[in-house]
Amino acid sequence: MPDPSEILQGTLDLLILRTLELGPMHGLGVSDRIKQITRGVFVVKAGSLFPALHRLEQSDWIQGEWGESENRRKAKYYALTRTGRAQLEKEKRNWTRQFSAVNRLLESES
Amino acid sequence: MSLTGRARNVFRLMFRKQNIEEDLEAELRSFLAMLTDRHLDRGLPLEEAQRAARLELEGLEQVKEQVREVRVGATFESWLQDIRYAVRSLGKSPGFTAVAVLTLALGLGVNTAIFSVFYAVLLRPLPYNHPEQLALVWTKLEKTAAPRAPMSGPLLNELHHRLRLFQDVAGIWVGNGTFTGDGTPEQVKVAFVTENFPALLGIRPALGRVFRADEASANRTVMLLSYGVWQRRFGGDPTIAGTRITFAGAAATVVGVLPRDFQLYFPADSNVPSEVSALMPFQNDIYKGPADLHFLRVLGRLKPAVSAAQAQEDLNSVAGQVRQTYTEFAAENLKFTLAPLHADAVRDVRPALIALFTGAGFVLLISCVNVANLLLARAGDRRKEIAVRSAMGASQGRILRQLLIEGLVLCTVASAAGVALGWIGLHGLLGIRPDYLARMPDVGLNWPVLLFIGAISLGAVLLFGLAPSVVTAKTDLNDTLREAGRTSRAPVTRGVRSTLIAGEVMLGFVLTIGAGLMIRTLAKIHDVRPGFEARNVLTFEVDISGYRRAARINFAKEWEAKVASLPGVDAVGAVSHLPLDDYPNWYSPYRPEGMTGDQAAGLIADYRATTPGYFRAMDTKLLSGRFFDEQDRANGRQVVLVDDMLARSAWPGQSAIGKKIEGEHLTSQGFQPVWSEVVGVVEHIRNHSISQERRGEIYIPLEQSPREHLSFAVRTHVEPSALADTIRRALHERDPGLALSKVRPMTMYVERATAPARFVAVLAGAFAALALIFAAVGIYGVISYSVSRRKHEMGVRMALGASSSDVLRLVMGEGLVLTGGGLLLGIVAAFAGARYLRTLVYGISVSDPLTYIVAALVISIAALIGCWWPASRAASANPVDAIRAE
Repeated sequence: MPDPSEILQGTLDLLILRTLELGPMHGLGVSDRIKQITRGVFVVKAGSLFPALHRLEQSDWIQGEWGESENRRKAKYYALTRTGRAQLEKEKRNWTRQFSAVNRLLESES
Repeated sequence: MSLTGRARNVFRLMFRKQNIEEDLEAELRSFLAMLTDRHLDRGLPLEEAQRAARLELEGLEQVKEQVREVRVGATFESWLQDIRYAVRSLGKSPGFTAVAVLTLALGLGVNTAIFSVFYAVLLRPLPYNHPEQLALVWTKLEKTAAPRAPMSGPLLNELHHRLRLFQDVAGIWVGNGTFTGDGTPEQVKVAFVTENFPALLGIRPALGRVFRADEASANRTVMLLSYGVWQRRFGGDPTIAGTRITFAGAAATVVGVLPRDFQLYFPADSNVPSEVSALMPFQNDIYKGPADLHFLRVLGRLKPAVSAAQAQEDLNSVAGQVRQTYTEFAAENLKFTLAPLHADAVRDVRPALIALFTGAGFVLLISCVNVANLLLARAGDRRKEIAVRSAMGASQGRILRQLLIEGLVLCTVASAAGVALGWIGLHGLLGIRPDYLARMPDVGLNWPVLLFIGAISLGAVLLFGLAPSVVTAKTDLNDTLREAGRTSRAPVTRGVRSTLIAGEVMLGFVLTIGAGLMIRTLAKIHDVRPGFEARNVLTFEVDISGYRRAARINFAKEWEAKVASLPGVDAVGAVSHLPLDDYPNWYSPYRPEGMTGDQAAGLIADYRATTPGYFRAMDTKLLSGRFFDEQDRANGRQVVLVDDMLARSAWPGQSAIGKKIEGEHLTSQGFQPVWSEVVGVVEHIRNHSISQERRGEIYIPLEQSPREHLSFAVRTHVEPSALADTIRRALHERDPGLALSKVRPMTMYVERATAPARFVAVLAGAFAALALIFAAVGIYGVISYSVSRRKHEMGVRMALGASSSDVLRLVMGEGLVLTGGGLLLGIVAAFAGARYLRTLVYGISVSDPLTYIVAALVISIAALIGCWWPASRAASANPVDAIRAE
């Protein structure tokens, strides 16, 4: 399993945006979902997660708002904004393009 | 993000910082709480659950700091924060800050002052059109052994017609002239030039025009006035161009006025001073003059993109053609040499300036070393503070940056102080008035100088700021915290600091040796007897060029008698060329009796025409024979005096008295070779430089060679300058049309001749003094730091029976080892570097043992002073206190 610090910044952004596409979520929830969906391949620690969340918020792609968690704790929930949704689509396309390009390269070798 | 969005963020960050911080804190707290809940759900007890959650978060403060770092505006803000912090932490140790800033400011100030001079004289292009194309052309007369001889008119003419790679060549010769007409007559320096000279330099006149080709003739005088003369003598008359004024008793047309800042930059041996009062074309056709009358200083302008080597080739081929045309030049094996104008003009001052610049660099290095040492010592004391900061979440980079910013703040303050100090120092330098540096008026704090200072300050920060920062930032968190005040372990930095101090001693030693050599040189120069006694002698010039031959002779005789009769006057005499004056020299070949023309080839002497009273007025010693007297008349027997230098080389082992010598006299038919009899031998007079005996001298009675240029020397038993007014009045009574000029004591000429040596010695001395102080402070700093670190050890030693003198010896030993190491390195460096000073010393060798010994002693004393204080403090400490101190 790669060390979370080895996740490229762009990849982490994509993961977070994609996670929030499913609905607003707080920091711990984002981290849990990424772990779940990637089946434990990516574990995002607080030291990477929070800087990334704040960076995305500053770019106006997500917006934080205080709410209440499932076990009645105050928590900051992040939701995708309209520009964030557009950004996600862009990043998805980018990713697919890059991914298939890398794949083609790998396949051509064998 | 849009620009406005970004700006909004910065704004929000700065003014709503409190909110954002609280928000972030709450967010992370809730994250922790949820993690804790999760662990509680798994059945962990509360405390265990909280611990597990904290472990997972990996440091609340670290995460906060990481978030802060990604925020837009955070960088700007953290820089501000760092600067504020640096200022505060520097302010907290005012002693350290003051010493560091003062040390650096002195180092930078010295460099500001020296570089201002260095830049103005050596680097700044000459203020002419395309100065890089300008070069002097010297005549090399191989047989006469004159490598830098001026040129004759016909030779210049040959260059004019035959050179291919030059745009133009022009000649200049500076002599005297007198403004007559309205007002008091005024004798001034006039540059006689070929008509193309101003155009070749690219002079744009402030008024009127420059010369046209062939506009001067025997009965038409034209001139360009200097800006100063135009303002002073002609009241800045804006209509002066094209009008006629009276010059040397005749009408002359002013065609224009030179620009205000116009100066001539020629080497000292060309006798072209930087300031002249007028430019005038030669009135006679110099191109047709005698081919062997060498007087023109020749300036050429190369065609664009022609290199010096190509131009020299061009000159070589013309020299070849000239040797074929003129048999006398074939016999001389005449050659031409090219010397780029700027380099040639500064050739005498360059070695001194480079040496001083290097010295200033050393001073700066030493001051940087001291500040680095101070910072290292401080860094040692701050290890705990830094460990705490990194525990609080500051990243390594942030701490490094913080330390660098501290250096930068320190350096900015020091640079400002340094430039101010440099400015003061510069005015001190200008006060020494080294007027041999022709470009002194250009010296100032200009952009290149400030840029240079900025660059070296930055270099200094990197040098002394980075090293300690790296050492400190690497500090291991746990080790330092765990040390909990135990400081007896030798810190890593001690070796570094000791090396720095040894280097500092080395530099200080080299500087002290250099200063010692320069100071001894100055002392030697002061001890030199220049062949006359300058004290109590007043000198002045009288322009009698308007007089005919017989009138000149009469004037000199009568005027001498008149001045001698004035109260306070002991002796008076006149000479055609005063020693150490900048009037173009009179020197020519001579032939002693008993030598063929071939044997005498290459023999050259300085010629002087004097009145009988001259040597007594100057107190020049007669070695044998007699001085001139009343029998040496214009129509009498042709006699000369020679100096001992010439007598020794012409007639070694024999008496020169009664010998015949052939030399150049100003006869009624112009300059002619004449045989005359040596009637006396006088001591050598240093005409050109206090520190050099250049060539032998031949003295002719003024009556037998009445040169038109006359300087008087008056020996008084009252203050010489008190006589000036009396003499001025007396001359006005004698002839209101005569101009008196350069009324000054002879000591002034001597002072001017020793100015370069004094300039260098004063500066080198100041550098060495600074270096010594810095070295003492540096050693003090290192030793007292080391003593404070070893307090515990010292206490134990003393408790175990070591006496306080043992401790004293131990500590002093440490300092002396450093000094000794530095001295050894210094000896090597000094021997290697001393040869660069060879052209600067006089009367001593560059490896003068006395200087080296004294310098070593002085450095050792400075080191001892630096060690003594901390050592005696350590020795007098109570062992019990020392052990308990920690």
